[in-house]
Amino acid sequence: MKRFVRDNALSLFFLVAFLLTLVGQSFAGLADVNADQLSSGGAAVSWWHYVTSSDFAVDVAENWQSEYLQFLLFIVITVWLVQRGSPESKKPGEEGRGSAAEQKVGRHTVPGSPGWAGATGLRQTLYGNSLGLLMGLIFVLSWLAQSVAGTASYNRQQLSQLQDPVTWGGYVLSPDFWNRTLQNWQSELLAVLSMVVLSIYLRQRGSPESKPVGTPHEETAVEG
Amino acid sequence: MNVRVLPVILFVLTLGLSGCATEGKVPAEQAVASFYAAVRAHDGERACALLAPEAADGLRTGGQDCAKAILDLDLPGGQVRESAVWGDEAQVRLTHDTVFLHRFPRGWLVRAAGCTPRGDLPYRCEVKT
Repeated sequence: MKRFVRDNALSLFFLVAFLLTLVGQSFAGLADVNADQLSSGGAAVSWWHYVTSSDFAVDVAENWQSEYLQFLLFIVITVWLVQRGSPESKKPGEEGRGSAAEQKVGRHTVPGSPGWAGATGLRQTLYGNSLGLLMGLIFVLSWLAQSVAGTASYNRQQLSQLQDPVTWGGYVLSPDFWNRTLQNWQSELLAVLSMVVLSIYLRQRGSPESKPVGTPHEETAVEG
Repeated sequence: MNVRVLPVILFVLTLGLSGCATEGKVPAEQAVASFYAAVRAHDGERACALLAPEAADGLRTGGQDCAKAILDLDLPGGQVRESAVWGDEAQVRLTHDTVFLHRFPRGWLVRAAGCTPRGDLPYRCEVKT
């Protein structure tokens, strides 16, 4: 048990932190919605009612989609684009998908290679892109969920303000949908840009996301 | 995750969306029917009991009695044409009126009635919270 925790401490930390912040968000969101309900002459709702509502779903989904988009872009674009000096990048000249030997696929597999790495055709293509594909799938589903829950949440708000509801298509073209979407995208893209550029010049001793402290700024693809 | 799961999730999401839009339509329409039945019967007390508390308070301005004020408005009403329910809010369109309701623990109550549209602006309503 102790060994399991130590070997998986990074995942466990983020899992627990994720659950705690999600619960925290549910209570903060409930207080916000109830203040809104009471001020518009409505009735306060329970915690369970809130966490199963479109208001909570849209707030969760809009953040999820942008996070998964961020990692999808980071995973896929770093195949083709490099940043000299960044530990997040491959070395200039190494752009591209890599040879079969470099990727240890087909007949170049080693003992312990995943089964589908040694396969050919569609299975190797699928496994060779499985990280990006799954991140992309979660991004699309989260974005779709944001649009569906957003329609319900927006229409509830429209009715509470004595205005007409809109269709799903109308909502997807609305300023509310794009404001929610783009405000998340811009912050995620800025965070990636900061990470790529700042890690050229700044260090975090002991972190694999940083170069070792004494590594020259020009050295690329070196992680500490 | 298996890619074949995608259509299933889309189907569930679509069902969820349509569920949000249809759930509670009938009770909301019944609440509007009861409200207008009371108005037509000149039963102001009953009509006021079917208003959201803040909407009833809004009719009591200047020391007026809600039961009298609601009948003085001569609300038009009519047949139900269509309705929409989103969360705890509903809109019921009648042939001569549009009514907005909120779902309270004791059921649907009228938040606004005698409403006329103003384009993208909120409806202008004779009764509202």
